[in-house]
Order: sequence, then C-alpha cells, then structure tokens
Amino acid sequence: MALLELKNISKIYGELKALDNVSLHVDKGEWVAIMGPSGSGKSTMMNIIGCMDKPTKGEVLLDGVDISKEPSKRLTDIRRDKIGLVFQQFHMVNYLTAVENVMVSQHYHSMPDEEEALEALGRVGLRERARHLPSQLSGGEQQRVCVARALINHPELILADEPTGNLDEANENIVLDLFRQLHREGTTLIVVTHDPEVAEAAQRTIVLEHGRVAREVVNENFVD
Amino acid sequence: MTKRRMFLRMITASLLRRRSRMLIALLSIGIGATILAGMVTIYYDVPRQMRAQMRSYGANMLLLPEDGETLDSEKLARVLEQFPEDALVGAAPYRYVRLDMTSRQQSFTTAGTDFEQVLKTSPYFSVEGRYPEATREVLVGKEIAELIGVREGSSMELTWQPAVTAGEGDPAADWVPNAQLAGSAEGFSGGAVTVTATLDGEGKIAEIQVDASTQTPEYGGRTQEDKPFLKQFTGKTLPLTMGEDVDALTGATVTSTAIVDALNHSRAVTAASQPRTVRYEVVGILVTGGEEEGYVFMSNADMRALTGEDKLDVTELSVSADEEQLNAYVEAVANSGEGVTARLVKRVTKSETAVLGKLQALVFLVTVVVLLLTMICVSTTMMAVVSERRREIGLRKALGASDNSIRAEFLGEGLFLGLLGGVMGAALGFVFAQVVSVNVFGSSITFQPLLLPVTVIVSMVIAAVSCLMPIKRAVSIDPALVLKGE
Repeated sequence: MALLELKNISKIYGELKALDNVSLHVDKGEWVAIMGPSGSGKSTMMNIIGCMDKPTKGEVLLDGVDISKEPSKRLTDIRRDKIGLVFQQFHMVNYLTAVENVMVSQHYHSMPDEEEALEALGRVGLRERARHLPSQLSGGEQQRVCVARALINHPELILADEPTGNLDEANENIVLDLFRQLHREGTTLIVVTHDPEVAEAAQRTIVLEHGRVAREVVNENFVD
Repeated sequence: MTKRRMFLRMITASLLRRRSRMLIALLSIGIGATILAGMVTIYYDVPRQMRAQMRSYGANMLLLPEDGETLDSEKLARVLEQFPEDALVGAAPYRYVRLDMTSRQQSFTTAGTDFEQVLKTSPYFSVEGRYPEATREVLVGKEIAELIGVREGSSMELTWQPAVTAGEGDPAADWVPNAQLAGSAEGFSGGAVTVTATLDGEGKIAEIQVDASTQTPEYGGRTQEDKPFLKQFTGKTLPLTMGEDVDALTGATVTSTAIVDALNHSRAVTAASQPRTVRYEVVGILVTGGEEEGYVFMSNADMRALTGEDKLDVTELSVSADEEQLNAYVEAVANSGEGVTARLVKRVTKSETAVLGKLQALVFLVTVVVLLLTMICVSTTMMAVVSERRREIGLRKALGASDNSIRAEFLGEGLFLGLLGGVMGAALGFVFAQVVSVNVFGSSITFQPLLLPVTVIVSMVIAAVSCLMPIKRAVSIDPALVLKGE
C-alpha cells in the first residue's frame, strides 16, 4: 500500500524546470534512497515530500491526502503529524539541551513528555547526555539527537536530507544502524544522499538527473 | 510536562542561555523603563516639589475680613482648619496701625505679625540683623531706618494714639461735670490733632491741652503753645462754634478748626483710650526692595500689648496647591461662615500654573521620545535576533510549529524581556528620580506603589509593540531553508 505517491509532478521556476514530470511510488514501510548530482532536483523533491513546497503541476498523495491541493497552513499540520525530519546540518536549537530539543518536537506535535523524550534519547544511546547543550555534543551525537527528535512523534515517514553528510564513518554507521532499526519497526524512510554507501543501505535507489528520474536501482544485497 | 511549561522553558532558556544577545534588548528596555519610571515619578512629584519651591515667590492667597466683620486670631485659627496641614506652607497674620515716633515728629505704618510665619510666606525677606524674638523688639524697614537714622541695636519710642473719636453713641453724654475728655480730628495735611480737656464742676472747660505735633510747627504747631489762643476755651460749654465761641489762631485756621472739631467729638477718657508709649529695641533692618521697607514690624503679642486689641487686617497665606485646589479653598473659606474672604494673588498663582504646565509638558515629551527610542532600539535588536535565529525558526517550522506558535514564542520572549526590564526600570527609575529630586529640588520623594505595575505594563507593551516587525519577519521565514544544508 502506497504511503507516498508522486504523480507526474513538475516544479517550474520561471524558465527552469527543477522537477519535470516526476512520478514516484513509496510503499508503507519501504526504505528509499534518492540520489543525484547538485541541481538534479533532489532538494525540490524533498521540499515537496516534506510539505514545505507545492508542485507547479501534478499530485502528491501522502497517506491518501493530496497535499498539493492543501493550503499552506494545513501542510504544517500534515508535516507535524506524519513526517519526521533529519537534516545534514543537524539543526538543533542551540540553547536547549538534548532532551529539550526532543521535547520541542513533542511540544509542537502534542504534549511534551520528558520521560518519553529521555527514552527516545536512550534509544539512540544518549540517555546520559540528555542534559547537555548542543555545543557540548559531537556531530555524531547531535545527529543522533536529531534522529531521536524525528522519531519521537512516531511519524509515518522519516525524511532525511544527507543525514550522514557531516559525519565520520563510525557515526555514519551508528545512524544507518538506527535507520535499519526503524525500518524493521515498519517506519517508512526516504533518504536523500550523495553517498553511494548510504544509498546502498536502502531497499531501492532513485537517481535524479535534470529534474527527471534517470534510473531506479533495487538493492539486491539489502539486509533486513 | 504541560505545553505551557515547555513554552516557558523554551523562552526562558532562550533568554538565559543566550545572554549576550538578549542583554542588549533587556538593557534598552531596562533603560527605557528606568527613564519612564523616573520621569513618571518626577512628573507627579514635580508639582509638589515645585510648588514648595515656588512658595518662595510669596503669598498666593490673602484672607480678609468681609465688610463690617473683623478678623482675630481665634477666627483665623478656625478658618485655617479649612486647609490641609501639608498644603499650608505658612499663614502670616498682619495688623497695620499708624504709630507715632514723637521724638522725631514722624509716624509710621507698623505691622504686627508672626515672624515664624513670615519666614514661610515671604522667604525673600532679607534682614540685616535678626528677626525679633523677645518682646519689645522691632524690625525696621530700610527706608525708615535711613530716614530716622536707626540701625541694629538702636531703640525707638513709639506711641499709639487710640482713635478716641470712634466711640459709640452721642459724645455729649460724656460731657458731664468734672469729666476728663479727649478727642482728635484731622488737621492740616491729614495729620491728627489731639485735644484733652478737663471740665469743671459746672461742666465748663477748665483746662485744655493740644497735641498738634503733626502740624507745621510755624503754623498749626503753634496752637499747642499759644496761651491767648488756648485761654479762649476756658469757661466755655461744649459744643463750640468756631468764630463765635473761639477765634482761629492767625495762620492756623485749619488746625484751629480741627481743635474745635476734636472737642466737639471728644469722649470721656478711659484707660483703653489713653495714648501709650513703649520703647522698642531695633534688632534688624528689613530689606525687600518693596514697599515693606517703609514699615515697622513687631510681633503680634507686642501689637496686642500696645493697642489692647486682638484684631487682624489681613492674613497672607502661602498654600501649596494647584489653581483648581486653590479655588476650592477660596470657596471653602467663603462657606465657613466666619465672615472672611479669601483672595488669590493672581500674579503668583497664574505664573506658577504656567511654569508647572510647561515643565510637565517637557517631562512628558522627553518620556515619549525616550520610549520611542527604546522601541526603535528593541525593535532593531529583535530584528537582529530574528536574522540570527533564522535557521532555528526554520527548524521550528519544519518541526511543525505553526505561525501562531512562532508569534507566541517571540511575543513571549518580548513580554518576558518587558517584564524583567520593567521591574529593573521601576527600581532604577525610582533611584534615578530620587537622585534628580535630591540634587535639583533638595528633597526626597516617596515611592508610589502604583509605579511598579505601571512601569512593568508599559515596558511589556513597548516590548510587545517592538516585536511586531521582527515577528512578521520571523513568520515569513521559509522552513525549507533548513533542508538546503546551509
């Protein structure tokens, strides 16, 4: 069953077609990687999937709702309820502690619950670092906090933008292991990446070029 | 944890953990609030302070007896009850009489007053020497002092001549055999001519004495010594007719007529109507540059001892109040039923009101300008804060913060800053006002409890208004920016 379905979407900025008639189908529980060089339309696609932008043409069905027709205000609600975001630059609120950063997500979603937030940090192995400020955490630790923050509200979809772009190999593996765990639990993952190794961890890789889907590779070595 | 607690935790963390940035905003609000609190305190305290200061311009109200009424010290005390104690700076009663200095053939207007009150109602009086303290001490106006050549330490004899003609009923009733009579009338150039007479067993004039010391010595003055002239009066029966009973002294017709007139109005001499002479010590010379320099001043007690009367002609009041209140006091005095009228010295009250109005307008203007500057400063700082936190705001939006959440958070931070700055400002502002007050007006001010909530609320409103533009900017931030790996 499809969680996300892009139907012939285009995003046109003046003369530039950032996305040109792209279609994509992601099943519930699937782990998909999106690759492509700079300017291939990855970011635009992510913005649209992440409910932060709307396509010029085409339909985007997320959990059965056509988000391309929803008003912007509703998009925020949908993003909050269905999507967990992980970013390349981590993006933590730098004056809040690790646990508070996780709670910010809860705060906007429903109710802050410190116990639950601590549990989520425990899951990414940072329970004892919960009271540290971002400046006291390493890059890998920050990204793990961000993963904890992304999963705290049990989203249908985790959307990760170059999640390991700023991490060393050891931390990259920790983050990928976390993704595997989430995948096993049935969370849908869409990971945008440059890194073939990260792409190889996914079940399927979509390669974008010049705003079009150039090819689709199924990872036969996928280990669940 | 509730949403509200998380909200508070976020905004306090934002302020407390990002000290350096917020300190600038806090400082500007704090300074603005300080000026506000200080200025508001001064605004409300200045009239009080300035009124006390302006009371040095002299009395601003006069109490006068109504027509046909008299004013005495007891009545004055009752009338003064109409004034609140803290508003009444001073109340100087005056009794004016004309006293003669026989040795110099001069007479001076002499005021009986209360020097302690004079110091309050007429602080501009300057005395060479000192104010009278003991009895039989007088203060002499500079003009008189120069005229008769007295100075501090001199003494002068002053005579009070009761107005003997001012008796009630028909004077003829007093003209009984063996009576002692006295009378006075206006002679040449308004000087009083006083006559005393003794009647014999048949009610005829046995002896007369004339005091014409106020008359020109070569003319009217001769009447008191001219024996043939005085002799005419003996054996005559009152009343006398000029030209029939007696003839005028050549060259002194006016004085002669006055003598006859005085006799025709003469009354029996009693103790109260006897002239009294007292020797006073001059303890100070009064310099004012005004008409007071032509007066002699003595204490009310001395005046009462000399004249035997407790009577006041006018009381000068120095009242610390605005024009509206002053008018209310005038009304209250009129309604007191004591037969006393209060009058405002317009020259003083008008200029006071004008000066205070201008001063308050100035303070108000400065406050408004400072608040505007504060608003600009806070707004600029918050704008910089929003720019600096673009990614954080984008992140919050990406995490699902609605526009209203973003608004609430920034407004919350602004209000929190306003609260802290307001409390800080109220405290510092009071200190500021106190310093200004002590240095400028030389008196301290009392803390107005209302100042704290007013300052805090105004600071919060200003902080909130200052945040409007920055909030608009924050809301417009695109959450997608966090995805671009900036």
